[in-house]
Amino acid sequence: MSERNPADIGGEQDGPIDTVDHGLKFWEKQANALRNTLTSRKVVRLDELRRAAEDLGLRYYRLGYFERTTEALRNLLLEKGMLTRAELERKMAEVRRRYDP
Amino acid sequence: MSATHDHHPQEKDEGPPSEHEIMSRAMQELLEEKGLITSEQVRRRMELFEQEFPQRGSRVVAHAWADPAFRKRLLADGKAACAQWGLELEADRLIAVENTPQVHNVVVCTLCSCYPRALLGMPPTWYKSESYRRRVVREPRAVLKEFGTLIPGHVSIRVHDSNADMRYVVVPMRPSGTEGWTEEQLASILTRDTLVGVALPKV
Amino acid sequence: MTPSAYTPAPRRRFNVGERVRVKVANPPGHRRTPSYIRGKEGAIERVCGCFPNPEELAYGFDGEPKRVLYRVRFKQQDVWSGYDALAEDFVELEIYEHWLDPA
Repeated sequence: MSERNPADIGGEQDGPIDTVDHGLKFWEKQANALRNTLTSRKVVRLDELRRAAEDLGLRYYRLGYFERTTEALRNLLLEKGMLTRAELERKMAEVRRRYDP
Repeated sequence: MSATHDHHPQEKDEGPPSEHEIMSRAMQELLEEKGLITSEQVRRRMELFEQEFPQRGSRVVAHAWADPAFRKRLLADGKAACAQWGLELEADRLIAVENTPQVHNVVVCTLCSCYPRALLGMPPTWYKSESYRRRVVREPRAVLKEFGTLIPGHVSIRVHDSNADMRYVVVPMRPSGTEGWTEEQLASILTRDTLVGVALPKV
Repeated sequence: MTPSAYTPAPRRRFNVGERVRVKVANPPGHRRTPSYIRGKEGAIERVCGCFPNPEELAYGFDGEPKRVLYRVRFKQQDVWSGYDALAEDFVELEIYEHWLDPA
């Protein structure tokens, strides 16, 4: 692993692999489709998303795969000014309320 | 309000949403509101990933088993061969690697999770796991053993790290006992795991 | 024109079969050359084509001019000390031309 890139892990030691495919939750399928739609429409580039995931640093290892890709997308959209923090917080509160009637 | 708020049957069993789920939905809705994407586009992608992409890999390789000329074209240029056969692989620059009595192939993306999604659908959770990404380039035999796949000592293993622009699919050896099978029957033993290289087709 | 996995790379530095060594370098930022292969020697297995540089795309630049991408084949024994298996095990990766020197 290079010092700065948490994704650069080929060849490191690790434990047994969980060889069962646990599939995707519904929101993960939707998150994947969102990511795919954004890259195919060139709203963001796949390379930018990868780099944004790497920029998470040590947090990279604390997140599951889709948590990581979601945070990377958020950080990238904020960085590019496509969303503001305020908008996102407002919308998240609105979404949260839908689940918590 | 957009139509994405209707709950899909799968969601009902999955418990309260996590913070990341909320974040992802919020981002999607904001991007829709800003006109950068539509919910229909996202829904259509979900459909492709669920229903279309996962069926393709086994059909392509079954066709290669049945048709030597197609096999040759597939091994020369995976993307071109599929396109000629009527299968557009979107962004995937496909390279097909063949297993032989002397060589076994296995695929990984050590840096993230690059995978021929337009051919195989979503990668399995183990493919995206840090333990697979770390270990298979360095100890492929031990990793394959964890999948229950024993490669004889005299067979050489090639690990393909799809670390840049290309995507990979493994063409397994066609087992004996499949003589005269239809392509549909052949496709039924070409599981996703055989096309990534962690399993061998079983009759 | 039929799509292809490959694009032309007429002005390339290396050809199939040539021995190359991956640079030893640890630059910051987004790189698609894994650490485990840096400094290792292998052979060009195929020429993939010319693609925009991912190291630039990652930051919103257009990645031009395109760089030549190669598949390079390495003997596992040459990559990992103490690699314990038959001599003919390989690892094959895609390496951009600017990461390669003649061996």
